[in-house]
Amino acid sequence: MRTKQEYLIRYKDGNLYCELADIWIDPSKPVKKALITHAHFDHFTFGCEEYISTKETAILLKERVGDNIKIKTFEYGEVFKINGINISFHPSGHILGSSQIRFIFAEEKWLISGDFKLQKDATCKQYEIVKTDYLISECTFGLPIFKWDESKKIANDISKWITNSPEKTSLLFCYSLGKAQRLLNEISQTNFKGNIYSHGSIHKMNNSYKKLGIDIKDTIKIENKKKIDELKGNLILLPPSLSKGSYLKNFKNIQTAFASGWMSIRALRKRSGYDKGFPISDHADWDGILEVVKKSEAKNVFFHHGDSEALTKYLREKESINVLFFGK
Amino acid sequence: MSLKNFSELFVDLDSSNSTNNKIEVLKNYFLSNDPIDNSWAIYLLTGKSNRRFISGRYLKNLFSQIYEYPEWLIDTCYLKVGDSAEVITLLLKNKSTSRKKKFSNISLNELLSKTIPDLSKLNEEEKNFKIKNMWETLPEDNHLIFNKILTGTFRVGVSIGLITKSISKLINIDEEIISHRLMGNFEPSIDSYKFLVNKNINLQELNSKPYPFLLANTIEDKIFKHSINDFQFEWKYDGIRMQLIKRSGNVSLWTRGQELVNESFPELVEKMSHIKDDFVLDGELLVWNFKEQIACDFSLLQKRINRKSPTRSIQIKYPIIFIAYDLLEINGRDIREIKLKNRRIELEKYFSKWQNKTENNISDIFKICDLILPKDWPDALTYKEKSRENNTEGLIIKKKTSIYSSGRKKGIWWKYKVDPMQLDAVLIYAKGGSGRRAGLYTDYSFALWKDQELIKFASAYSGLTNIEIKELDKWIRKNTIEKFGPVRSLKPEMVFEISFEKIQISKRHKSGIAVRFPRITKWRKDKNIHDADSLENAYKLMKKIS
Repeated sequence: MRTKQEYLIRYKDGNLYCELADIWIDPSKPVKKALITHAHFDHFTFGCEEYISTKETAILLKERVGDNIKIKTFEYGEVFKINGINISFHPSGHILGSSQIRFIFAEEKWLISGDFKLQKDATCKQYEIVKTDYLISECTFGLPIFKWDESKKIANDISKWITNSPEKTSLLFCYSLGKAQRLLNEISQTNFKGNIYSHGSIHKMNNSYKKLGIDIKDTIKIENKKKIDELKGNLILLPPSLSKGSYLKNFKNIQTAFASGWMSIRALRKRSGYDKGFPISDHADWDGILEVVKKSEAKNVFFHHGDSEALTKYLREKESINVLFFGK
Repeated sequence: MSLKNFSELFVDLDSSNSTNNKIEVLKNYFLSNDPIDNSWAIYLLTGKSNRRFISGRYLKNLFSQIYEYPEWLIDTCYLKVGDSAEVITLLLKNKSTSRKKKFSNISLNELLSKTIPDLSKLNEEEKNFKIKNMWETLPEDNHLIFNKILTGTFRVGVSIGLITKSISKLINIDEEIISHRLMGNFEPSIDSYKFLVNKNINLQELNSKPYPFLLANTIEDKIFKHSINDFQFEWKYDGIRMQLIKRSGNVSLWTRGQELVNESFPELVEKMSHIKDDFVLDGELLVWNFKEQIACDFSLLQKRINRKSPTRSIQIKYPIIFIAYDLLEINGRDIREIKLKNRRIELEKYFSKWQNKTENNISDIFKICDLILPKDWPDALTYKEKSRENNTEGLIIKKKTSIYSSGRKKGIWWKYKVDPMQLDAVLIYAKGGSGRRAGLYTDYSFALWKDQELIKFASAYSGLTNIEIKELDKWIRKNTIEKFGPVRSLKPEMVFEISFEKIQISKRHKSGIAVRFPRITKWRKDKNIHDADSLENAYKLMKKIS
């Protein structure tokens, strides 16, 4: 067995790092070279000399943070070389442009799952099974209590929730990039035929998706929040940050909900302060993580981004898979 | 007409924060379901069903056995979810492939009156088979309710008040009447539901029931502007609030929690049955120190509460007394609409009559509360400060002109509680919460200094805001020294102001003291651990009081 320092990819200062290529994956502080798995802000930091990502991720990032960053892009599956290591992006099904990253060096394969889901999502490419020797997987929802319903069912529940309260404006909180567009796509296929409005930050991302060729329903941008009370029977998509401050105090005639995987637990739902929670996630559930671990044929697995204790013990005991720790 | 409808009702109630909305939802449910299922729904929603048919542990073991699932994994999930019934429900979602395609639609009545109670008649193997079969044939949406009823943990944010309001709206009858109809025992049946929604008001039929209790509000500054003579002052005892009812010769003791407790206090029932009149008294049950004429500590009363048919020696060791505050009904006449000062005159009149005319001496188990007569408000404050000396919690202030309505009506009765005792203590352990607080460290233990050592002296759960809880949870995760199962020992760093009501010697605790109702009143970020109080300070506090 090798020591931690000898792994091709390891943890350094809390981030994934490949020393041989001197390249970081989704670093949380400025570095020379950063591979970016997707355009969510918790995977991006300003100030890196060079970013490398898929084309879609690059466009989304520039829409969010401006043109003032240097990004090199590659297609899914396209192999590029850094210091003799073959690197390629593969669809991870999380959001538009999101990717897994594969490293091949001296016939040893490493795969960083990035954030991923296996569920169908018409607004991004489906997760691709990639074979590997070493797998570094996220495990945000690494407990068997997480089992996602089909997104169609959730969309129907949302539709019912809105139409059952025609005298109220329905405010649905969701992440502005990815989740919002996925919901928009799903909800437009339900019986709900009212108007859908979106907050500026979501509206902007909707337009970016459209520019990138994703077919989603037009929404109306909320220009004047004073009007929200008057939009009864309709749906408004808002980013979760707005539910925290005094924003909601402006309205009397509303019902609120949060779309997130965490909403499958009643205690979290109650604590969240929203009227309702819709458990839908862009991350894999327990079964999803297990499926990826198995289908990747990895002999060694590392987990990060989540509570990995249960998964580690389960895979070791039940599946005899070698789960390793980086140590931070 | 089914468990399915009730499951939907549960989801609707659970996902609404608006009272009006909940009332509307309930009303519609009652309109569209059978009387028998409605009565079961009321039974469940008002928390009358807390019988545990199967323990959470049993359910987890069974699931583990059937689906060959490691128990440690279920336990890990529990830490996140905080409710066994819900954990199993969520895990069952993972097992949907083994479920039958055709789902049964069982009525709430059949489930609650037959299927679940009958489990206790089965042997273990049959019982397990039955539960497995229910899991496999019930639709997924019904699992939570089924598991919660099984484990006796069905609780949802619906108060009796909401049920009262929705029924009152449904049949257009005053809430007071409905709330009276809902008092006492509620046996689910077609008749009990029909009685509840009967549009004709027949006072006779309420005969077996206690009246809805009137409750005091926290003191408001505005009352100090009124003349002291407008109010009646009583000690606030720390016992069991109770209605003592004698109707048609039969005595019944009803607690505020609407439990009939005759069996726990037979000597009181026996003595009171010798009184010739019928009556309803509102009062407090206490264990009494007859020598010093003061109330004993609540912990002694606890020795009586849960013990049915206490032996003679228990009765002598823990002698009880019923202290009457108020007379609500006399010889069949409801006098709640009479002003308090006049009810008091009646109470005193009847008490002296009973004392003189009853063959058995009743004064060793029954008295009426002494009134306190402060000259002015500062004098009232002095009384309040003295309340610890006679083992009371402060004063109850009642408006003399008030009638006996129900619930926590504003502007009638106030509680004027003595300020709590306080110590600054260091957080040393944290444990994961359950229920709503699952997944967060919300159960805390606090310590005081003894020389150079921190000694645990109290545990507290309440008092922090949700934002503080989250902040502290984060800190706890970063400052854990050791984990023992769900408990973490922590780096001593955080100081909290702990308030409590009573302090006494206890041999059970390492600190040698026990406190009652400890709660967090302030996060003292301004203090470091060496500013925290010592055990010695706690002993001093105890001396000062006794």
